[in-house]
Amino acid sequence: MSDFVERPRSSCPLGGALATLANLPDIVPIIHAAGGCGGNLTASIAFGAGYLGDGYCTGRTSPTTAVSETEVVFGGNERLEEQIRTTLELMEGKLYVVATGCMTEMIGDDTDGVVREFQAEGKPVVAISTPSFRGDSYHGYEIALDGIFNKFLPKAKKKNPKLVNIFGLVPGYDPFFRGDLEEIERLLTAVGLSVNTFFTPGQTFENIASAPSAALNIVFSRVWGRDFAGKFEEKHDTPHLIADLPVGPEATDAFLLQIADKLGLDLQKVQKIIEKENSTFYGYFERGADIFCDGDLKHYAATVTNATYALPLTRFLTRELGWVVTDSFVTDKLTDTQKSVLNDGEFPLQFLQGAQEIARALNNNHPNGRGQRYFDDLSPLYILGSTLEKRTAAARGARSLSLSFPVYDRFITDRGYAGYRGGLHLFEDLVGQIMSVKS
Amino acid sequence: MGNYDAKVPPIREARLKAGDTFGGALCELMDCCREGCLIQKNRSFWQAGSCQMNGAMMMAGTLEKTVIVNHSPGGCSAQLHFLSFQAAKGMGRRGKPNLSVPWLSTNLTESDVIGGGEKKLLETIEYADKTFRPELIFVVLTCAPSIIGDDLDEVVQTARGRVNAEIVSLHCPGFKSRIFASAYDTFYHGLLKTLSFSPKPWLDYRPIDENAPDAELRYAAWAWQKAHTVNVWNATSIGSDDEAEVARLLGALGLTTRIYAEYASRDELRKVSEAALNISMCDVHDDYILKYLEEEFGTPYVIAGMPIGFRHTREWLLAIAAHFHLERQAEALADYEEKIAKDAIAPYAEKIKGKRVLIYGGAVRAGVEATVMAELGLEILGIRTYHYDEGADAVFKDVERLSPEATISVSTQLFEMTHQIKTLKPDLVLSHNGTQGYMAKLGVVSVQLFDMDKVFFGYTGIFQILRRIVFEFKNTSYRDRLSKRIRLPYKQAYFEGNTFQYIKN
Repeated sequence: MSDFVERPRSSCPLGGALATLANLPDIVPIIHAAGGCGGNLTASIAFGAGYLGDGYCTGRTSPTTAVSETEVVFGGNERLEEQIRTTLELMEGKLYVVATGCMTEMIGDDTDGVVREFQAEGKPVVAISTPSFRGDSYHGYEIALDGIFNKFLPKAKKKNPKLVNIFGLVPGYDPFFRGDLEEIERLLTAVGLSVNTFFTPGQTFENIASAPSAALNIVFSRVWGRDFAGKFEEKHDTPHLIADLPVGPEATDAFLLQIADKLGLDLQKVQKIIEKENSTFYGYFERGADIFCDGDLKHYAATVTNATYALPLTRFLTRELGWVVTDSFVTDKLTDTQKSVLNDGEFPLQFLQGAQEIARALNNNHPNGRGQRYFDDLSPLYILGSTLEKRTAAARGARSLSLSFPVYDRFITDRGYAGYRGGLHLFEDLVGQIMSVKS
Repeated sequence: MGNYDAKVPPIREARLKAGDTFGGALCELMDCCREGCLIQKNRSFWQAGSCQMNGAMMMAGTLEKTVIVNHSPGGCSAQLHFLSFQAAKGMGRRGKPNLSVPWLSTNLTESDVIGGGEKKLLETIEYADKTFRPELIFVVLTCAPSIIGDDLDEVVQTARGRVNAEIVSLHCPGFKSRIFASAYDTFYHGLLKTLSFSPKPWLDYRPIDENAPDAELRYAAWAWQKAHTVNVWNATSIGSDDEAEVARLLGALGLTTRIYAEYASRDELRKVSEAALNISMCDVHDDYILKYLEEEFGTPYVIAGMPIGFRHTREWLLAIAAHFHLERQAEALADYEEKIAKDAIAPYAEKIKGKRVLIYGGAVRAGVEATVMAELGLEILGIRTYHYDEGADAVFKDVERLSPEATISVSTQLFEMTHQIKTLKPDLVLSHNGTQGYMAKLGVVSVQLFDMDKVFFGYTGIFQILRRIVFEFKNTSYRDRLSKRIRLPYKQAYFEGNTFQYIKN
């Protein structure tokens, strides 16, 4: 069967690149594509990722060549040259990133050539190739990072042994990227590190500029950002660590110890912080025991998320809440190698994209009872997925929480599920969702 | 007209004297449009917008029991999540099952772009039919397959023999037209090429047996019903409460209203020809289909502005009433409604009198709203329209009479909007959905020009618009505080120059 996709949970490389650029400080995108691409792609993130919204120069403020039939027939180099020139004149930015769409790639515009002329004049412009037919948003994220960090930024003269860069969470497509990054930053700062998160509001272009001097890149995804981090290492000599996003105390304890080991941090100090965080976590977690247990809130669970969130989430539900996770669906389009990197035997994963396919798989894996008196069905079931899973859950009489893209039924600001606080948030949201029906 | 026979619908720029770039005085704009120079205008700086494909999908997604097949790389359909949830809500508000429309992307890859995506498209259509069992499948042609030359209609023809659903093809590659309104023509072209607008015997009605004793009576009943039924053509920006207000007023004249084409079903569309009159609610939205229906079924049509505010609502009602010799009743109805509504709006109108206002949105809506506000004693500083074509002339002649000094901008561009807000310093902006966040960040008081959850049309509408404006002025803290912390991406020099300095020709 063809690889068409039902209701894709990702867009194209241009969409992923724009989501990435839109959340970096002082970066101005220049979209070399038809006029609608920029608006349509960015709006899908501005609304679909828990109403992330537009920032400094994103969405419909994004400069674009808005190519029309004339350019498709006669070439778009001149239009691009004009748009870069006027953008430099009108828009305030520290770096201008030209990203291509499918039509300008297909007609063979010399984007690199046009951009080189501006670079020769010392203008901070870089070109990335993001044709929509070559991958999806996750690839666009890596392409955008590669353009900025590996192509544009020069090597650092000196390394800062206490500085780390965080990658792997894709803006929008990981709807809690900001909250997760904030918690990771909080914890790593506590153990004595400086942290470049790049994508949280407190960051400036200085954080981007200092990235090459970092001692370590931490990539919170086994698949996304991995190739980019490899290239970063080649260019800037910064090693990288691929880690699962730690959710809840057990995973976060282990993560902090791993970082302490990797960067030779004072182990006693790290242990002390772990102790303090745990006592805070359990101070809250303990109070939840009454509603959690008296409310009989132990569940079967199915997760429907991207590759980055699947294992951390499944692990939290299994290890911290003691739930029985029966199905973990990964909705990204992955290569066999990427699948094997994820499927290391800890939890079995299923790789499906369409909401309909997933609903069907769930029914096939766990048939519903048909009025039998004695039937061990998959109940009570909690589905942790996207807004698309709400109907699937309702049809099975299951509960659901939307936490993977697209999230249209929640509003997300700095909430995250990573770390100690994130674990609490997840606990709170899972229980809160159940209680919200009371009146 | 010829267009209706073509496989591919004409874009707005080719069909009408249309354009999306202008800044200056209204009389210049109308001259420029008439002489055709509007279409030549361009900018040396552009910001991202939407495209006709998105508009076509926005409309298609509202039809009942529909699946959309987006023939494209993975990104083109990105907004369908939003559009389908929006359509589901719209369905619910109209008393229909609020199911969001499923869709598929053919997800064209590099090898498809080289080798062609027709086979994949066919498989996707078959999968859509088998999996969702829809009544309608809209197949949407985007930029990439249009450049490689995939023959959409050939595939659709093949698929028609294999699937249960009726397939409507929508030709709308984004690069072909910069004018969003092209989407309306694309959508209607797709419908009229494929779907039946005539009822089918035995399925939709029981044929009259000529020899039956009640034949004459039944025929008279049918003829009477048809003679008193009107089709009112909606748009996505027109909410269910607007439709209800219009139906209420037409009902008071003894007319039965059917609303098309959004939120209709395939079966309901077969009743389109069973009406005495087709009525537009927006001059630049549906002339394409209304002219077709006149050619095809001899059904006359009315395009007479939008029923917003007292005068326009009266004129709109009278234009319709004229077809039924109900002018006297329509005048009486308008008199009666106005008498009640005038008392109701008086305290609100008084509060906002003299405010200086900028209006931004679709050409007709923005123009009509400007005249309404002008007549209420507000000062119109400027009007910004997404596009302009000759269909809007009637409305803008009215604007010219009432607000000759207003600056007119044909623009989807937020940098020009920002410039105008910073230089014209309006007290109030009435602005298109999707721009309100920007308004708040600029610290200006603004109200939606439309909102599918609220009412804007007729007598109920004018009261609600004014009420919302007054409400917005009651506390502006959010905007005031937010705007103080916002850094705009534009260099200061731009605001010291002309708003329209990036317009060429």
